[in-house]
Amino acid sequence: MKKYQKLIIKVLFIVAVLVLWELYAVHRDIMAVPRLGVILKTLYEDMFISDVRPILQYLGKSLLLIAEGLGIGMALAFAFSGLSVASEIFNTVYNLIVSICDLLPAVALMPILMITIGATDTTIIVLVVHSVVWPMSRSIIDGFKSVPKMHVESGRNIGLSRTGLIFGIYIPSSFSSIISGVRVGWARAWRGLISAEMIFGVASSAGIGTYINNARTLWLSFPSVYAALILIILVGVIVEYGIFANIEKHTVRKWGMVR
Amino acid sequence: MNKEILKIENLTKTYHSQNVSATILKNINLTIEKGEFVCILGPSGCGKSTLIRCVAGFEDFEGKITACGKEVKKPGTDRMMVFQDFNQLYPWKTVEKNIQYPLKVQGMKDKKMLKEISDDALRKVDLDGKQKNYPHELSGGMKQRVAIAKALALKSDIILMDEPFAALDAMTRNKLQAELHLIHEQSGVTVIFITHNIQEALVLGTRVLVMDKKGNIIIDEQNRIPKPVTPASEGYGETWNRLHDALGQ
Repeated sequence: MKKYQKLIIKVLFIVAVLVLWELYAVHRDIMAVPRLGVILKTLYEDMFISDVRPILQYLGKSLLLIAEGLGIGMALAFAFSGLSVASEIFNTVYNLIVSICDLLPAVALMPILMITIGATDTTIIVLVVHSVVWPMSRSIIDGFKSVPKMHVESGRNIGLSRTGLIFGIYIPSSFSSIISGVRVGWARAWRGLISAEMIFGVASSAGIGTYINNARTLWLSFPSVYAALILIILVGVIVEYGIFANIEKHTVRKWGMVR
Repeated sequence: MNKEILKIENLTKTYHSQNVSATILKNINLTIEKGEFVCILGPSGCGKSTLIRCVAGFEDFEGKITACGKEVKKPGTDRMMVFQDFNQLYPWKTVEKNIQYPLKVQGMKDKKMLKEISDDALRKVDLDGKQKNYPHELSGGMKQRVAIAKALALKSDIILMDEPFAALDAMTRNKLQAELHLIHEQSGVTVIFITHNIQEALVLGTRVLVMDKKGNIIIDEQNRIPKPVTPASEGYGETWNRLHDALGQ
């Protein structure tokens, strides 16, 4: 199937869902399913007019925290995975840590974080780091393990040191695994962050999750809940197609490492 | 007069896996002089690849290997390996970057000089114009040429080639043999070339070694057939038969 045909199918599907939504909203007229026009009007107002529900401020706060957490998480994942390549003892211990910690949902750690760190931005950042570092480490280590022996030998042949091998061979050679790891980490972190904000309503971190929670409990505005969902989806689409797809296009696809 | 460039003394290589040990090479002694093109023939599993992997410094071994006057303890740019696998180039680097990268690792920073060296190496392997291509855009034969160009650019004293043309079609193989012969003639680089193919050994080698299944060198002789070697060359048939018989042992 050609690219434009796939695009047409996707657009038709979205239009069909929206039409069904509108029909259902008009027919039932219930609070939980507002009409599309009302949702879009609320989204516009909350984005550009409202002082009570400045949705972009909430979203900005969440994005800031996730960027900080992602940065720290990625740096840690690279450092630990690099050490795993350099030291077999570290690799054994770290594999065990990853296996254990990767199974722990970020939200499940929230009560402990709230008691130990408190209701602060740091709690959210720790949560994001936790969501990123383990799946990303797993992907990086798996990627490192699948680096062709020949490339490593060729690297040693041209005089690369251990650190040189990590930066010159292991990282570029396992770049597609690294991108997958960042993707998984980002998705987990984004969901974890919104969940934590909604469930625990971390006071100093008035992010998009807090906005949804407030819309439901304080403002009693269901259109605002949907407005937030639209923005969350938009952020996801931008990150996926605007960032990840572009990174892939200019790296692993260009290099012929993935189809 | 030629000068000794590689000396292998009492080389023994044993592989250990769990409770089993297998000695692949035992007490190999060999001296190679500068500028020689040594072709090593032998049946599968006889240890010929292991032998050049030891020379390359990729394997631990017993005995002593001295290359360019220095004892081999680890891999080095004085002994560049060209592998059999086409995918030995770094896929994330363009052809010219693949050639320039080892030079950069060795400390060369001058971009103009790097460009000149890589262009020159590519011209030698008849790949001028492919500088900006990525390896996945090249054919198998082209990739092998780039690998050779990489070794030439580095001005390695010894090029180690582990069946580099084995997976190529006959026409490309013949073309690359002719190119490699020319490169050797012009550069005078020392080459150790592993092959299963007697014709290839006779076309390329100035010296031919045959190893038996136990990893012993059973033939070590100068290739006296005048270059360029063809099946019609004087002495070709007789030498081919002798080597073939030796390989059957």
